[in-house]
Amino acid sequence: MIKIEKRNDLSRSIYFLTPILAIFLTLIGGGIIFYILGFNPIEALKFFFITPISDLYGLSELLVKATPLCLIAIGLSFCFKSNNWNIGAEGQLIFGGIVGGGVALLFYNHDGFYILPIIILSGAIGGMLFAMIPAILKTYFNTNEILVSLMLVYVAKLLLDYLVVGPWSNPEGFNFPETRQFSESARMPILFDGLRIHAGIFITLITVFLSWLILYKTYLGFQIKVSGLSLKTAKYAGFKGKTMIIIVFMISGACAGLAGVGEITGPIGQLHRNISPDYGFTAIIVAFLGRLNPVGIIFASLIVALTYLGAETAQIFLQVPKYTGQVFQGMILFFLLGSDYLLFFKIKFLGLKKNEH
Amino acid sequence: MNTQLKVSKISKIYPGCIANDKVSLEFESGKIYALLGENGAGKSTLVKILSGVVKPDEGKVFLNNESIKLNSPLDAKKNNIGMVFQHFNLFETLSVFENLSIDSDKKDEDLRVLVNDILKKYNFKIDLDIPVLNLSAGQKQKVEIIRCLIRNPKVLIMDEPTSVLTEQETDDLFISLKQFSKDGILIIYITHKLKEVLSLCDEVAVMRKGKVVSVSNTIDEKIESLANKMVGENLNTIKKKINNFKNSEEILKISNLNFKSDDPYETNLNNLNLSLKKGECLGIAGISGNGQNELFQILSGEIITEGTSIMFRNKEIGKLNPRERREYLMAFSPEDRISQAAVPELKIYENVALNNFKSSNFFEKGLVNEKKIKEHSKKILSNFSVNTDNVELKSQFLSGGNLQKLIIGRELITSPELLVCFNPTWGLDVGAINYIHETLIQINEQGKSSILISTDNDELLKLSDRICVIYKGKLSKIMNADTVTAEKLGILMGGGSID
Repeated sequence: MIKIEKRNDLSRSIYFLTPILAIFLTLIGGGIIFYILGFNPIEALKFFFITPISDLYGLSELLVKATPLCLIAIGLSFCFKSNNWNIGAEGQLIFGGIVGGGVALLFYNHDGFYILPIIILSGAIGGMLFAMIPAILKTYFNTNEILVSLMLVYVAKLLLDYLVVGPWSNPEGFNFPETRQFSESARMPILFDGLRIHAGIFITLITVFLSWLILYKTYLGFQIKVSGLSLKTAKYAGFKGKTMIIIVFMISGACAGLAGVGEITGPIGQLHRNISPDYGFTAIIVAFLGRLNPVGIIFASLIVALTYLGAETAQIFLQVPKYTGQVFQGMILFFLLGSDYLLFFKIKFLGLKKNEH
Repeated sequence: MNTQLKVSKISKIYPGCIANDKVSLEFESGKIYALLGENGAGKSTLVKILSGVVKPDEGKVFLNNESIKLNSPLDAKKNNIGMVFQHFNLFETLSVFENLSIDSDKKDEDLRVLVNDILKKYNFKIDLDIPVLNLSAGQKQKVEIIRCLIRNPKVLIMDEPTSVLTEQETDDLFISLKQFSKDGILIIYITHKLKEVLSLCDEVAVMRKGKVVSVSNTIDEKIESLANKMVGENLNTIKKKINNFKNSEEILKISNLNFKSDDPYETNLNNLNLSLKKGECLGIAGISGNGQNELFQILSGEIITEGTSIMFRNKEIGKLNPRERREYLMAFSPEDRISQAAVPELKIYENVALNNFKSSNFFEKGLVNEKKIKEHSKKILSNFSVNTDNVELKSQFLSGGNLQKLIIGRELITSPELLVCFNPTWGLDVGAINYIHETLIQINEQGKSSILISTDNDELLKLSDRICVIYKGKLSKIMNADTVTAEKLGILMGGGSID
């Protein structure tokens, strides 16, 4: 007989070590997959994880990808910590992008230092408003926020599709599904010539610091923590549960909106159909890999960003589809959840127990 | 054909609790058997064993003198043991008939004929083609019963079936059950309601703390005798000095308070009236599940009512949430100390910060004032002799007694005018119980009031100045504690009446 028991002694260091174990297991799992596909696993993993960041351009690309991932994951950590399951960050990102992009298009032939801040702010507000839909439906109509936030992703995607094909499409764009290029004043400043890394990284870093402050040093953070651990206790302590649900969704949506606006004013420079390679969904993995801890999330976003780059390199050098990146992301989450299970529970082998007397 | 069911020396041990301790019982068809006991007495565990949900650690079940193995609910079905649980297992959006056909292997046409026969035979009036969500609780229960009857059960087990029924529905149910019994189905009826036992059942087995303490014919029993057996005959008469509060100031008054829940598994409260004087302890007895939870939440502000229905020190507080009520010097110690009163994963000082109100200054301008909270926590740990001085310790490492001391300490260190506590000594060892009891007596001596909602009669008799009983969401007359005996409480708790 096998018996599964809850562990009651849980050390903090192990709690932060299991993500590293999960990454290690992912490497082994990935190696096996490459081996089955007929590659030398060591070589293949080198292409996947080392080659992409072996030069300055690669490192810059890593940060370009990690910037939105980290930002979204930080926002999601507010929701997840308080037991609100916002799965729709991708939709909030896109909607933030739409609103920010719309404002950028308004200013397409203007110049001025004030343009970029307005765009960034409107993108954050866009994402925030979009995230409030599931929050309000949850608090006042008892809907399931997982379903609502997820379905709204498709609403946002289709809306973007409609806009770039229809009313917002570039009048001189030969009917390509894309808008005009934004003006220089509507673009994130590039940090180094020749590299794509942009000022959005500062927004991310400031957000990380602010969220650390909110989560660990404020009454709001305390309320979020208690509600996440026990809703009954939160009610007993007299926390305003509904207001808090709406606040965490607003924070999370604003972060996703910022990420969206960072993408379109940063590397992309216009609106088109694919402004995000599923950053909103991948950020869920980042949030959990980083243990919902602001510093943890920084490291997690770098690692997961690497899987995006690795997939592109592998596509070029090994001719495997770039979706291998998603396989790796999936494996990370799988191994993380697996090792978490062993972290919280222990399995006891009891041997066969005799029932007869 | 006669059916005999026998359980022999069944034991089931959960960590820290012996749910069934060598339980042996015999049942025979033609009679209705009651299994009576308080919550936690082990009835449900026994029933789960009979229905294959839980495997016993020891012991055997015999059906018609043959040992049967009940490893899963499917085994119970195969052996024609039917079971109607307290919580329904129906798909709300499917029709009645669809619900019935899901787990039946009969063809739909045959099943419909069979179901119609059952409906006619027992005079059930249910439309088979409407969604289950449109049915009343009583009708839903009938669907569950029909689901059992389709399989020609030899044994039908009903687990607290009347908890969600109206009086009329209860009467209907009893008529049906008697008819089933006449048709040769062995019926085991699980309850903690004494009146129901007397009006429905032929034999009654009483369980207490996992053991069968008595088996008898209901003809030989009265409400009082069953009550004594159920709650234990330990007539502990140590009481605190009874005071006369005639001239004291009234501190709390609840008038004509009603609470109707949307959740059918919660208890509605009807026309509650009570008042409390300064320095007084009001005890509220009752078998759990009769509305104590709801009453506690109404007092604490987790359930909000009309402002005027609760007056505390001449202020309307019905609309205030728990935090706002704390500002008015109320304090609350809930029943569930592990997952409500405190969070095990939080450190001691963080748990202390849960009792937060404006004047505590734990949070200033939205920021955590960790220093202040820790100082305050240290004071609680030493004043209430909690067995640690480390405020950084996670509270999951405290024993039940120390955790309860921490909670009571947290609530009392602000010198509240009223403490409401719900089963404050549940599951604690004797030492901790004594400490908590002394503390509760002490606050009364200091002129502070308390409301003690408890399922432990000894505790109530020991600590209360006045006592009343809550039964099905209604409060009995409030009695002076010196006129109350455990026997009287037992009668009221089982739904009987005394003059």
